[in-house]
Amino acid sequence: MNTNTPHPTNTVPSASTVPSASSVASENAKGAAMDPRPVLLDINKLSIEYRTKRGKLKAVHEASLRIRKGESVAIIGESGCGKTTLATSIVHMLPRNATISGGSIGFFPEGKAEIRLEALPEKEMRAVRWNDIVMMFQASQSSFNPVAKIRTQFLDTFQAHNPEISTDDALNRSRELLELVFLNADAVLNSFPHELSGGMKQRTLIALSLLLDPQLVILDEPTTALDLITQKKILNLLNSLRDSCGFSMMFITHDLGIVTQLADRVVTMYAGVVVENAPTADFFSTPLHPYSQGLLRAIPKLNATFEQLYSIPGSTPDLVDKMDGCLFAPRCAHCHARCLTEIPALRQTDNDRWVACHLYEEVTHGAY
Amino acid sequence: MPKRLQFPLFLLRKLLKVAFTVWVVTTLIFFLIRLMPSNPIEQYIQNLVIQYGMSYEEATSRAASLFSLDLSQSMFAQYLEYLKDAVRLDFGTSFLSPGVQVSEIIAARLPWTLFTVGTGLILSFIVGTALGAIAAYRRESWYEPIISGLSSFLSAIPDFLIAIFLILFFGVFTWWGRGSIVPIFQLRGNYGAGVNIGWNWPFIKSVLDHSFVPILTYFFSQIGIWVLLMKGSTTGCLNADYAVIARARGLRPRKILTSYIGRNAMLPIATEFAMRLGFIIGGSLIIEQLFVYQGVGLELLKATTNRDYPLMQGIFLIMTIAIVLSNLFAEILYSLLDPRIRVKGGSKHA
Amino acid sequence: MLKTQSENNLKTPQEINQVLSTTGSAYQLKGTTRFKRNMRHLREALFSDAIGAFGFLLLLAIILMSVFGPIWFPLDTISNPEVILNAPSAEHFLGTDHLGRDIWAQVVSGGRELLVLAFLTASIAVLLGLFLGSLSALIGGRFDEIMVFLADVWLTIPRFPLLVVMSGFFTLNATTLAIVLAVLSWAGLFRTIRAEVLSLRSRDFIEVAFMLDMPKTYIIFKEILPNMMGFVVANFTLLMRAAIYAQVGLVFLGLLPLDQNWGVMINVAWNQGVIYNPDAIWFLLAPTIVICLLILSLVWIARSMEEFFNPGLRK
Repeated sequence: MNTNTPHPTNTVPSASTVPSASSVASENAKGAAMDPRPVLLDINKLSIEYRTKRGKLKAVHEASLRIRKGESVAIIGESGCGKTTLATSIVHMLPRNATISGGSIGFFPEGKAEIRLEALPEKEMRAVRWNDIVMMFQASQSSFNPVAKIRTQFLDTFQAHNPEISTDDALNRSRELLELVFLNADAVLNSFPHELSGGMKQRTLIALSLLLDPQLVILDEPTTALDLITQKKILNLLNSLRDSCGFSMMFITHDLGIVTQLADRVVTMYAGVVVENAPTADFFSTPLHPYSQGLLRAIPKLNATFEQLYSIPGSTPDLVDKMDGCLFAPRCAHCHARCLTEIPALRQTDNDRWVACHLYEEVTHGAY
Repeated sequence: MPKRLQFPLFLLRKLLKVAFTVWVVTTLIFFLIRLMPSNPIEQYIQNLVIQYGMSYEEATSRAASLFSLDLSQSMFAQYLEYLKDAVRLDFGTSFLSPGVQVSEIIAARLPWTLFTVGTGLILSFIVGTALGAIAAYRRESWYEPIISGLSSFLSAIPDFLIAIFLILFFGVFTWWGRGSIVPIFQLRGNYGAGVNIGWNWPFIKSVLDHSFVPILTYFFSQIGIWVLLMKGSTTGCLNADYAVIARARGLRPRKILTSYIGRNAMLPIATEFAMRLGFIIGGSLIIEQLFVYQGVGLELLKATTNRDYPLMQGIFLIMTIAIVLSNLFAEILYSLLDPRIRVKGGSKHA
Repeated sequence: MLKTQSENNLKTPQEINQVLSTTGSAYQLKGTTRFKRNMRHLREALFSDAIGAFGFLLLLAIILMSVFGPIWFPLDTISNPEVILNAPSAEHFLGTDHLGRDIWAQVVSGGRELLVLAFLTASIAVLLGLFLGSLSALIGGRFDEIMVFLADVWLTIPRFPLLVVMSGFFTLNATTLAIVLAVLSWAGLFRTIRAEVLSLRSRDFIEVAFMLDMPKTYIIFKEILPNMMGFVVANFTLLMRAAIYAQVGLVFLGLLPLDQNWGVMINVAWNQGVIYNPDAIWFLLAPTIVICLLILSLVWIARSMEEFFNPGLRK
C-alpha cells in the first residue's frame, strides 16, 4: 500500500476498441462476464459546465461510470472536483448557472423502459425524484421543514407521487420504515424536527428516503454532521438496509474510512474527470492512478510523526482554463511528454477496473 | 413534556414585562408633570392667581380637581392615587372642555384613526408581502430591480413627505387641463360639510372620499418595508436546505412554495405585522395634521398646544399600552407559529 | 510563574505593545497605522457600489450647498409686496414666498441648521450607545441583563408622540432637542452595539487582549472601537435620518421654534395655503424634495456600509 510506483501491468494490446457509447441494454441482455448484475445507471461521457463571470467552467468533463443493481459506489476526490455536481445532475438539481453540455445519463429501472435522464423534462423528472432516485443532500440536519411535524412531511411525500393512497396506508408504511431504522415510529411522526437529535434526524431522513422503494439512493456526505458513534451506527444501518431493500447506492465522501465500510466500488475524480474506477478491495490494495496513490498515502497513520504526514504537492487546476494534457500532470511524479499533450482516456486495464492514465495500456475488454 | 410546563411560564414572564413597561411610562408621565422645576400644575395655579385673581388656595383646589390629584397629600400618596386611577384607565377630565372625561374624547377619536391607519396597514401588508415574494422568486426578472428600488425608496422617505407629495399629486396639480383628481376640500377633515352622520350612503361616501388619500399615504409609507422584509425573508428560505430537499423529494412546485418556503418566510413577517398593530392607535400625528383628520394623533397635538395635560397623558398612555400589548401579541403569535420558539423561550433563563 | 505575574501587572499601552511585539503578535497596536487602515476601509466601503458612492456625493453636494451657497444666494431680508407667491421666473427661479422673498435662497440656507443639529444628535447618540453598549457587553452578568431588559422596555415607548408630549412640558430649542433626541434613541443603538461588541469579543485578538489582562478602557478604545468603524458610520447616518425626521416633524407641527430651515419652510408654506395657489407650489415642493434627497443620501450610505462590512446581512 505504501508504494508510490505505479502498479506494473501486463499491457496486453487491445483487440477490440469498442466505441464508448456501448449499448448497455445489449450488455444487460447477454449478461456481462465480470458482473452478472444488470446495470441500473449508466453515465456516459457526461460534461457539465458552469457559466461564471470569468467564462465557462468545466466542472465535470466526459465522466463515465456505471452503477449495477444492488451495487454501492463511492465517489471520492478533493473538494471542488465535481463529485457533487455529477451527483446532482442525475436528478437535475444543478444550480441555475450550470448545464449539462454533453454525454448521456441512462437509467434502467427494473420492469420499466430506459429513461434518458439528461434531457428529461422537468415534469417527468419530478416523478422520478424520490420515487426512483433519491438524492440526499449534505445538510441532513436541516432537511426537514422546521414548522411542520414529521408526519406531515411523510404524508406530503406520498401525496406528491401517489395521491390515491389513503392516509392510513401511508402512515402504516411510514411506521414500518421508521421501525426499520430503529426509531419509535409514533413518537417520531408526532415530533417537530427540532425535537429530534442529529442521529435521529438522519435516520428519519433515511426512512423517508426509502418510503417509495427507490432503486437508487444518492448520498452526499451522509455522515459529516454526526459524531463518530452515530456515524458508525448510520453506516451499519445503511449496509443492512441495502441488503434488505435491495437498492443501489451512490455516495460522495472525503472519508476513506467510510468507503471501506460502505462501498463495493470506488470512483476517483480529479478536477472534473473520472481518473479511476475500481472495486474497493483492489483500489486499496493496488491503486493505479498516481492521484489515487497520493490520496491513499495522505491517510494519516497512528504511528506517524507530523513530518511523516504526506500531502500531494501542488493544487487543483483552474477549471476555466483550457485543458491540453492530463489535468494531474503538473502534480504527478510520473509525468512524461505524452501527459502534457494528450488527455488520457478512461481505459479498462483489468477485468473490472478502469483508469485514465498514460502509464497503463488497455487490456482486452475495450473502453468504458 | 417540558413544553407544557414552559408555555404558561413564558406567558407569565411576558405579562410581567407588559405590566412593568406600562408602570414605567405612567410613572414617567407623573414625574414629568409633578417634578419638573416649572411643573405644569404649579404654572396653572400661578396662572389662575395672576389672571383671574383667585386666592392661592382656591387656585390649588381648582387645579387639584382638574388633575384629579389631592395636592395636600404627600407626593408618594399622590403617586399611588394616580396609579390607581391609571389602572382603571381613568385619566380625569379634560382641561379645555371641562366635565368631559378624557376617555370619552379618546373613544370618540379612536375609530377614525383605527379606520385609516388600519386599512393602510392591512393593504400595504397584503400587497407588500405579495410583491416581496414575487421579487424573491423572480430574482432574475427585469422587474425585480424596479420593485426593490421603489421599495427602498419608499421606505426611506418620511411618511409626512409622502403625504405632501400625494396631496400635491391628487389635490393640487392639474392633469391634462382637467383639474385635479380629487377636489382639494376632500383632503381636509373626516367627512364633508352638510352630511348627516349615521349609516347613510352620502355620509359613508363622504367618509370614504375623505379617507382615500390619507389611507394611500399610510399605504405608501409602509409598503416599502413589507416588500423588503418579505423579499429578504423569502430569499433566505428559498435556499434553505429543507426547500432543496423538498424539491428532491419530488414535491410539486406549488406545494414547496406554499407549505415549505411561504410558511417559513411568513414567520417573521407575521410577527412584525402583529407588532405594528399597536401603532394603529397612535397613527401619525403629522399626517393627521396635514389632512386635518380628526383622529387620536391630532387630538394629542391639540392637547399639547393647549396644555391640556390630562388629555395628553391619557392619549400617550393609551398609545403606549397599545404598543406594549401588540408586542406581547406578536411574541405569543410567534411562539404559536414557530414550534421551535416555545422551548427556547422557556429555557432561556433556566 | 514570575513571568506571568509581571505580564499581568502591565498597565500602560507602551508596555503592552512591547509584550505583544516580543510575544510575536501579528496585531499591530500602533494607532496611526490602524487609523489609516480603517480610513482606507471606509473609502473602499463608500465606493464599492454605485448607490453608496452616489449617496455620498449627494450628501457632499448638499453639505457644500448649505455651507457655501448662502454666500452667492443671500437670503432676502426685506419683503417685497410686489412679487408675492410668484411662479418661477428668470429672477427667482423657484418663485417667491408669501413675503416676496426668493425661495431658492431659502432652500440654500435652510440646510445648515438641520445638518448641524442632525450631526450633533447622531454624535451624542453614537457616543452614548457605544459607551452603554460596550460597557454592558464587557461587564456582562446581572448588569447586562438589566440593561437589556430596560432597553426592551424603552423601545416600546412611542418616540415621536413622546417628543410631542415633552414639548408640552419643556420649551425645546435646537441644542436641547439634540440632547433629548440622542437620549431617546439610546435603546436601539445600545442593542445593536452590544450585539456587535459581543461578536467581536469572541474573536481571537480580543480574547488575547483579555488574556493579557489589558485595561478595559484600553481594549474598548484601541481594540474594539477601531473594528466597529463601518458599523458605527452606518448607524450614524441612520441616526441622522431619524434626527432629521423628528426635527422637521416637530418644526412642521409648530412645536419647535427654529429660525430658517426646510421644515420651517414647509410649515410656513403650508400655513400660507400654498396648496391653493399652485403657481407658488415650489415654496412647498422645493424643501420637501431637498429633505427627501438628504434622507435618501443618508440611507444609501448606510446601506452600502452595511453591505460592505456585513455582507451576510442582506442578499
